[in-house]
Amino acid sequence: MTPILQLRNVTRYFGSGRDRVTAVDSISLDIEPGEIVCLVGESGCGKSTTGRMIVGLLPPSDGQILYQGQDISAMDKPDYQQYRRAVQIIHQDPYASLNPTQTVRQMIMTPLLRHQSQRSAQNGSGGGRRSRRRDVERRAAELLEIVDLTPVAEFLDKYPHQLSGGQRQRVSVARALTVEPKFIVADEAVSMVDVSIRVSLLNMLSRLKEEFDVTFLFITHDLALAKYFAWEGRITVMYLGRIVEEGPTPRLITDSRHPYTQALLGAVPEADPELAKKKTHIELRSAEIPSLLNLPAGCTFHPRCPYIAEGECDTVVPPLERISEGGSVACPVRMSEPTQII
Amino acid sequence: MSQSTDLSWHQNVEENGRQPPLSLQDVHVSYRTRKGSVQAVRGVTLDLQAGESLALIGESGSGKTTLGLGIVRLLVDTAEVSPGKIIYRRDGREVDVLSLADGPMREFRWRDCAMVFQSALNAFNPVLKVWDQVWDTAKAHRWNNREEVRERFLDLLRFVQLDPSRVIDAYAHELSGGMRQRTLLAISLLLDPQILILDEPTTALDILTQRTIIDLLRKLKEDLHFTMLFISHDLAIAAELADRVATMYAGQVVELGPVEDIFYRPRHPYSLGLIRAVPTVTGGFEELSSIPGSPPDLINLPTGCKFHPRCPYASERCSSEEPKLERVGDNHFAACWHTDAVQDDIERNGLRGKKRS
Ligand SMILES: Nc1ncnc2c1ncn2[C@@H]1O[C@H](COP(=O)(O)OP(=O)(O)OP(=O)(O)O)[C@@H](O)[C@H]1O
Ligand SMILES: Nc1ncnc2c1ncn2[C@@H]1O[C@H](COP(=O)(O)OP(=O)(O)O)[C@@H](O)[C@H]1O
Ligand code: SF4
Ligand code: SF4
Ligand SMILES: [Mg+2]
Ligand SMILES: [Mg+2]
Repeated sequence: MTPILQLRNVTRYFGSGRDRVTAVDSISLDIEPGEIVCLVGESGCGKSTTGRMIVGLLPPSDGQILYQGQDISAMDKPDYQQYRRAVQIIHQDPYASLNPTQTVRQMIMTPLLRHQSQRSAQNGSGGGRRSRRRDVERRAAELLEIVDLTPVAEFLDKYPHQLSGGQRQRVSVARALTVEPKFIVADEAVSMVDVSIRVSLLNMLSRLKEEFDVTFLFITHDLALAKYFAWEGRITVMYLGRIVEEGPTPRLITDSRHPYTQALLGAVPEADPELAKKKTHIELRSAEIPSLLNLPAGCTFHPRCPYIAEGECDTVVPPLERISEGGSVACPVRMSEPTQII
Repeated sequence: MSQSTDLSWHQNVEENGRQPPLSLQDVHVSYRTRKGSVQAVRGVTLDLQAGESLALIGESGSGKTTLGLGIVRLLVDTAEVSPGKIIYRRDGREVDVLSLADGPMREFRWRDCAMVFQSALNAFNPVLKVWDQVWDTAKAHRWNNREEVRERFLDLLRFVQLDPSRVIDAYAHELSGGMRQRTLLAISLLLDPQILILDEPTTALDILTQRTIIDLLRKLKEDLHFTMLFISHDLAIAAELADRVATMYAGQVVELGPVEDIFYRPRHPYSLGLIRAVPTVTGGFEELSSIPGSPPDLINLPTGCKFHPRCPYASERCSSEEPKLERVGDNHFAACWHTDAVQDDIERNGLRGKKRS
C-alpha cells in the first residue's frame, strides 16, 4: 500500500543569518492509511512545525512531503485543493481557532455549504437550493452527534464563549469533519482540557479512526496520553528538530533504547504513589536544553547524555537505524541495550 | 533581623509544637460579578500539620487557587472571604490571619507563609533584575544586611540547582520556564517561611524540567520537613509529593485522607473518577474512562450534592441533601451518601480499568 503521507528529509528553517534556527532537521516518516502515529517531545523540538508543514500551512525549506504518493509541491491545482481538504489540523487552543462571532451552526454549516457547492459544480448534479440546505442541516446535526455534542439543538446557537474548553474542542473536530478528511493532525488537541474530560475526547477521536478510516498524527508532549491513544500505533520521539527514536507503542514504552526517550519516560510524574516511588530516573549530566541557535555537534543530546562515548557522540550525527524489536533508534551506543524503566 | 544561613529551622518538627501551623475553619470565598456571586470556595475546613505536605487537587475552577490566595490574602478586591476563619500558629502563638492589619499581613506573607504562584512569570517585576527584587523584598522586611542577604540567596540558588552567576543579574524574561520556577522557589525561601504554598508548581513545564522541580520539592519535604500545600489539577503531583490529599469539587473538599487511601481506596465518586481518567506511562495498557458532563456553574449551583449531575451513583437523596465530610477510615474522610457503592465498584471492577497486554 502507498503510505497516505510521507516525509522525505524534511527540513524547516526560521530566520536568517546568525538568527537562523533549524526547527525541523531532515526528518523522514511514512504513515500508512489508518495508522495512528504520535509525535512526542518537549516544547520547541519541532512538533508543531512538522504538523503545520504536513497540512500545508508552512512550506518545508528542504525535502519533500508526499500525499498519497504525490509531492504536494508539484501538484496541480485540483489535486492540491483535494489534498488541503483531505488533511486537516486541530489546534491546541480551540478558543484561538474558532471565530468568536459565529454560532456553532454557522461554523459547521458554512464549510459544509461551500464543500457541497464545490461538489455539485464538479459533478454537475443539481437539486434545489432548499433541499441542499436541508441536507446540509441534517449533516451538521450528524457531525455534532459524532463529536458527542448532544442534544444537538442545545448547541447549535451557542457562541464559543458559551462553551467549555472541551466542548469547543469538539466543535473544532466537527468543523474539521465537514470536509471529510482522510488525515487529521491533532496538535496538543486535548492538552488544554480538564483531565476528567480528556479521555472522552480521545475516545471520540479513536472512534473517528474506526468509523471513518481517518489516519492520525497525534502531537503531544504527554507520553502517558501518547501511550493511551496510540497503543495500537507508533510513537515517534523528537529532540531538537530530529527524530531520535520511533517504534510500535508497546515496544517504545516498555523497552525504549534511546537515552533521551528513557530520560523522558523515567521523568514522567506518575499518578500512582507506589509507581512514583519505584520508578528509576536517568540522571542527566545537564538540566538545560541547548538553544536551537547553538546546537551541539554530533548527537545533539550528548551534553546531557550519561552514556556519551567521547570523541564519537560529540562529532558524528548518529543515523536512525532499525532494530529487530521494532522501529528505529538514533544511538549506536545504546540501541542494542534492552531497558525497563521499572 | 538576623537570619541563619542554615536553610531552615524546620529540621526538627517537634520544636514547632504539635499544633497545626495553619487551620482553615469553614472558609468561604465569593467573587462579586455582574451575573451574580461566584461561590468559589464554600466552607473548607482543613488543618495543615507541621512538616506535612498536603495536595489540593481538582479540576479547573474548583477553587484551588482562590483558596491559596485567600490564605495569603492576595485576592482581588471583588473577592470576599466570609464567613470563615484562618488561624496561623507559630512558637505557641496564634493569629487570626483575616484580621491582620496591612503591615503584619505583609510580614506574614513572606516570613510565615510564602506562596509560589501559578504563573511564575507574572510573579516577577519585569523591570527589576532578580537580585534587585530579592534585595527589595529583604529590605521591606527590615533585613538590611546586604552581604548576609546575598549570601543566603546564593545558598538558596545553589540549593535549587541554579548557577547563581547566570541568574542573579538576569531579568525574569531571560530565564527559561524551569529556571524561573526554581528562582521563585529560592526567593520564597529567603525569609525562611514556616509554610510554603505552591500553586501548579509544574504545570506548563517540560517533562524533564518537571522532574527537576519535583525532585527539588521532595528534597524540601524529606530533608527539611517543610510544611507545604500543593495546589494542582495534576494527580501526579499529589502521587509524587503528598502525604495527604484533599480532593476539591465546586469549592468544597469532598475527600481528604492519606495519599495511599485517596489513590488506592478512594471513597468519593469524584476522586475515583479522576483516578480512572488518568493514564500512567509505566506498565501495560489500561482502559480509561472519563467523568461525564462538566463542572457546575458556580453562580447557580445544583441542589444537594454538587456532583450529582455527573455522578454514576447518584440517588434521589443526592439531588436534595448535601453530604458533609464524614469519617470513612483512619484520618480518611469523604462527603458522599454512597461511599459503600464506591467501595463495591472498586471491589468488583478493580481500581483502574482493565489491563490489555
Ligand atoms: N477575579 C475573579 N472574578 C470572578 N470570578 C473568579 C475570579 N477569579 C476566579 N474566579 C472564579 O472562581 C472559581 C475558582 O477559580 P480558581 O482560580 O480558584 O480555580 P482553580 O481551581 O485554581 O482552577 P485552575 O485549575 O484553572 O487554576 C472559578 O469559577 C473562576 O472562574
Ligand atoms: N513562525 C516561526 N518563526 C520563527 N521561529 C519559529 C516559528 N515557529 C516555530 N519556531 C521555532 O521553531 C522551533 C520549534 O517550534 P515548534 O515546532 O512550535 O515546537 P513544538 O511544537 O515541538 O513545541 C522553536 O524554537 C520555535 O521557537
Ligand atoms: S549517541 Fe551518544 S550522546 Fe547521543 S544518545 Fe547515544 S550515547 Fe548518548
Ligand atoms: S452524594 Fe450522591 S451524587 Fe454526591 S458523590 Fe455521593 S453518590 Fe454521587
Ligand atoms: Mg507545539
Ligand atoms: Mg488555579
